[in-house]
Amino acid sequence: MTIPLLESIKIGLADILMRKVRSIVTVIGIVLGVMCIMVVLAIVSGMNKSTMSWMEERGGLNKISVYANWNYDFSKGGDASFNLREINFLRSQIPEASAVNPTINFGDGHLWYKDKHYSGWVMGVMPDMVTVEQWNAEKGRFIKDIDVQNSNNVIVLGTSVARELFGSRNPIGQSISMSGHVFQVIGIMKHRYKEPQGGEAAFSENFLEYMNQQSFIPLSTMMNKVSPGNPIRSFEIRASSPETAPALRQKVENIILNLKHGKRVFQVISAQEQADMMKKNSMIFSVIFVLIAVISLLVGGIVIMNIMLASIKERTREIGVRLAIGARPLDIFLQFLVQTILITALGGVLGIVLGYAILGQVGKFLQISVSASYQMIWSALSVSVGVGMIFGVLPAMNAARLDPVVALREE
Amino acid sequence: MDIIRTKNLSKDYSMGKVKVNALIDIDLCVQQGEFVAIMGPSGSGKSTLMHIIGCLDRPSSGEYYLDNVLVSNMPKSALAAVRNKKIGFIFQSFNLLPHLNILKNVELPLMYGGFSGNKRSARAREILAGVGLEDRLRHKPTELSGGQRQRVAIARAIVNEPSILLADEPTGNLDSQAGSDILHIFEELHKAGNTVIMVTHDNAVAERADRIIRIMDGKISDDYTLT
Repeated sequence: MTIPLLESIKIGLADILMRKVRSIVTVIGIVLGVMCIMVVLAIVSGMNKSTMSWMEERGGLNKISVYANWNYDFSKGGDASFNLREINFLRSQIPEASAVNPTINFGDGHLWYKDKHYSGWVMGVMPDMVTVEQWNAEKGRFIKDIDVQNSNNVIVLGTSVARELFGSRNPIGQSISMSGHVFQVIGIMKHRYKEPQGGEAAFSENFLEYMNQQSFIPLSTMMNKVSPGNPIRSFEIRASSPETAPALRQKVENIILNLKHGKRVFQVISAQEQADMMKKNSMIFSVIFVLIAVISLLVGGIVIMNIMLASIKERTREIGVRLAIGARPLDIFLQFLVQTILITALGGVLGIVLGYAILGQVGKFLQISVSASYQMIWSALSVSVGVGMIFGVLPAMNAARLDPVVALREE
Repeated sequence: MDIIRTKNLSKDYSMGKVKVNALIDIDLCVQQGEFVAIMGPSGSGKSTLMHIIGCLDRPSSGEYYLDNVLVSNMPKSALAAVRNKKIGFIFQSFNLLPHLNILKNVELPLMYGGFSGNKRSARAREILAGVGLEDRLRHKPTELSGGQRQRVAIARAIVNEPSILLADEPTGNLDSQAGSDILHIFEELHKAGNTVIMVTHDNAVAERADRIIRIMDGKISDDYTLT
């Protein structure tokens, strides 16, 4: 039987308060280590969150994109485009997909409204784009099947296009001209916005601004009127769920390989796999930083062990007295182990508080969104308690092993 | 009744290659309620004998019965409990814990004995009142005189109502007045039925006891009762 843990905690706290300066010096390594872990975890989780929201803004994890393979050597032959027949065949092969949207890009889109001019990307798309990209018109409406069937001259503008051409006026129902054709504006897309992270701030204030600079017309209108002969070079598919996306991606890749006679002219990318890859990349960072933090915790732990060893040497007589009046070796062991753990736990708490305090500044400085969680607090705290347990054992054992006769003789 | 009984008690140390016989075949009996002084020059083995009687150390051979219990072959952790319940130590240099107030110092043996906080405090106050320090409970040992500190140490030694009180040169660090006061407390404790064993090299101090045991070269050289 030993004395209750509460007594050891009381003794430990009293000792720590009695030797305030020493306790603070002892614990600085742990404070910095825990602070470091806290900040790194917050940055990593902030980056992951930001990656996820970027993915969401671009159609979510269900999305599978097919576009020309830049790594393919086109001198070997092969054509990185699809005709409608191939698209229809592909669509028939993947009934499990919720939506398929082939796209024709028209980079040379000069839009005119009266004397105002805007030059940007115009895309020939299908109504399915709303589902695939999870992006719809906010004002007016998006392209419908009937527009595709009739190759209607209708256009949906990105917010930047609309602002440039119409200012504060309502563009819906207005006519604009492009490449000698007159289009009726039927809708304005929802504004897409993603605050930039880190170095990207230099390029734009909105990471997704390029999306707002696009305009959309029916695919058939594009093929038949605006840009005849411009083939379908890319399309997007929406899987029914993020979990089924990788399998569907594999299937689509095989179908396209067959269509293109085994030539890898297209690459097929699933957003889910892309996100996993990005997470894996950020994982490497977090592993490196956590490693650094762990090393600083180890150094902190060794410092604590050293100071505890010295402190026990200094308190040999006290230990002798305690043993003489009936303390068991286990009581002495617990007294010093608990004290070490209390010191490191205190350091952990200080580290968490400090880490939390500087988190916002770090985020502002790196222009990265950071997010702290309770889970982090618990892991930081348990790590610091763990350090105390590991590095407290040796000094506590030394104390418990003291011979009372020898200890009492110590001056 | 014998409170202490030893049979062929020996203790050797090896100091490097040299073997030192600190105690050789000590046969000693102390009755319940005796007031014994152990005397001897330094190096005689009296400190070793006191450590073994106090269960701080174990003999190399022989048997030691404390309160009719064989304690000489008990493991260390069991000896700690014996020290806590059966033995009250009083040291020459008081050995109070400097950062605890005197109430907490006196509570310590009770804490290791497993008493709850309230009981501890009440019992320690009672004992401190008995040695006349009831108005100094919150003082640190450094704020007290030597005589007062030794009275705190006595309070700590008797708070668990031990079978024997072991005092090692209890007056060695005190002036004659304070030393005399402390010896007076020992006499009172003795009158109240406690067994007191006191190590000293001061004849005047030893003569306050009932019985004097002289140790020389690890053996009992003289053992007589004062009248």
